[in-house]
Amino acid sequence: MLSNGTILSGMGVGLSAVTAEVFRVKPASALPAAAKHEGDAAAEASKLKAAIAAVAAEMNELAASAGETSAEIFEALNMLLEDEDLFDTAVIQIEDGWDAGTSFIRAVEEFAELLSGDAAFEERLADIRDLARRVAANIAGISLGLDLPTSGEFVIVGDDFSPADTAQFTSAVVGVVTIQGGPTSHTAIICRSKSIPAVVSCAKAAELVDGMKVLVDPVGDRVVVEGKESDITKPLTFIAKSHDPLIPVRANIGSLEDAIAASASAAEGVGLFRTELLYLSAKTQPTRDAQAKAYEEILRSAPQGPIVVRTIDAGSDKPVPFLDMGHEENPALGVRGYRLIENHRDFIVDQLESLELAREASGREVWVMAPMIATAKEAIEFAELARSTGNFKVGIMVETPSIVYEIPSLEGKLDFISVGTNDLSQYLFAADRMNPALGAMLNPWQPGLIGALKQISESCAAANIYSGVCGESASDPAFAVLLAGMGFDSVSSSRSQVGAVREALSAVTMEQAKEVLSAALEGSSAEEAKTNALKVLSGISEN
Amino acid sequence: MATIASTVTIHDPIGLHARPAGQIVKLVKESGLEVRMGKPGQDLVKANSPLRMMAMKAKTGEELLIEVDSDDEAVANDIIAQVQEFLKG
Repeated sequence: MLSNGTILSGMGVGLSAVTAEVFRVKPASALPAAAKHEGDAAAEASKLKAAIAAVAAEMNELAASAGETSAEIFEALNMLLEDEDLFDTAVIQIEDGWDAGTSFIRAVEEFAELLSGDAAFEERLADIRDLARRVAANIAGISLGLDLPTSGEFVIVGDDFSPADTAQFTSAVVGVVTIQGGPTSHTAIICRSKSIPAVVSCAKAAELVDGMKVLVDPVGDRVVVEGKESDITKPLTFIAKSHDPLIPVRANIGSLEDAIAASASAAEGVGLFRTELLYLSAKTQPTRDAQAKAYEEILRSAPQGPIVVRTIDAGSDKPVPFLDMGHEENPALGVRGYRLIENHRDFIVDQLESLELAREASGREVWVMAPMIATAKEAIEFAELARSTGNFKVGIMVETPSIVYEIPSLEGKLDFISVGTNDLSQYLFAADRMNPALGAMLNPWQPGLIGALKQISESCAAANIYSGVCGESASDPAFAVLLAGMGFDSVSSSRSQVGAVREALSAVTMEQAKEVLSAALEGSSAEEAKTNALKVLSGISEN
Repeated sequence: MATIASTVTIHDPIGLHARPAGQIVKLVKESGLEVRMGKPGQDLVKANSPLRMMAMKAKTGEELLIEVDSDDEAVANDIIAQVQEFLKG
């Protein structure tokens, strides 16, 4: 039992704190093993019918709360769930002696066999199997969902949450604590965007039990058992000393909605426009006119300033339906980003040409960069391709460790680089971003990452290449000060953080930013680096 | 009861997948009529099961036979026309 005042350290997400009761999310129970029934086939059949109806009703509820496009998916799934032939097939299994849940799973497998081997049905197969599990769980009285409270206020505690889980977060979820997962985990990203205070990668949270009251204190990177108001770590308040921030703060966008919202923020242009969203849901390659039109709308809506566009960053884990990507054992290290040029050169050329049309039509300043560049040769190839296609400033993402050592040879070849700290961390530390157990390695305050960033910024300055940072780390106001102190020329933050990052960068002088950097460089762990930096920063903001 | 038969062609780029199959079954159930579909030369299946229809694995460009049991030819033709519409993708 944890005593009052016990501090559980993790990584904070967000700036405000919250106190509420703990709600432990139960791990999904295993389904019972296949079993025979006791002889009453009619009773089993009606049990199955009731369970199917109950699951269909659940799906209808989900459909009602989901958007229009999702509602259509749920409706199609219900058609499959309530398929008469499927039910009849299950009844034959029941007559053979299998119990209701087992029979339904067996019936689904019979159909799965008929449908298998057809790529168009693979996802449906997974959906149908999931439905079968839900029906079997309903019969066994087991819950597969999160079963979150819908009223009251709770801090939910679990290992880590999947996208399906976070979609179910109710308004009763006022705080989130995960035992695993890092600052770029899905949970962290969702909590940041929904402004739910969270602490991730909090190993000791495993000891929290239902009913305990905890303070989620993201600024202090901790959870405090029975924490009081006075335990809340105050965010550093920065009092702007100059009108302009030390370096420009741009916004990250991925869609027209983002562009419009970003233009309402104080962002100076866009530092990262992720173009994948335009393609991930398209079944066929959009025509050049359609692409140009979509880009033009976004360029026109984006905040004033340059717009840095990243060419498609897809791979076999983030497949584009109309580009054949195949299966890869290790997609993070596979054919992704600019490496698609090998088999899909036409597509990348098409994308650049569409961007040029949109640039001309909108009259905006467009910079283009390619993701996943590992060699200077690739960087130069891309630069030549982009320059021959349009009137862009041309650059690359720096996210592989190998390219860091080749920056000096890119002098005169590139206009700019932008560091993607999320992927750079993943590749630098050989720590899979998707592996929740490795979250702590992906902390941007890791001395190894800070050292790499410093080297990148210095190499760029020596090679006369403009350098910026996008990625989650640039959304942390204190870290942004550190980046300015290193000599980066701009940062790009998630939209909701632009204001806070700008404020921090307007509150310090370049000398002070360098002091913050030196303090952080003295830390021998991520925690120490951050504590040191914050100590200097709070000294500055008090004066 | 009379049977009105015709053929429909699949234009949907993914073939006869879950969405059109679901739309057809919904239409057939609402009509209360028996409708059968299938590839030429194979047994027709009752169009009241989306899974059974998907299991035909009918692809883009393929023709399917369709039979509607109804004494009202106009109603039957209307169903056939709507099924064709669903298969346009």
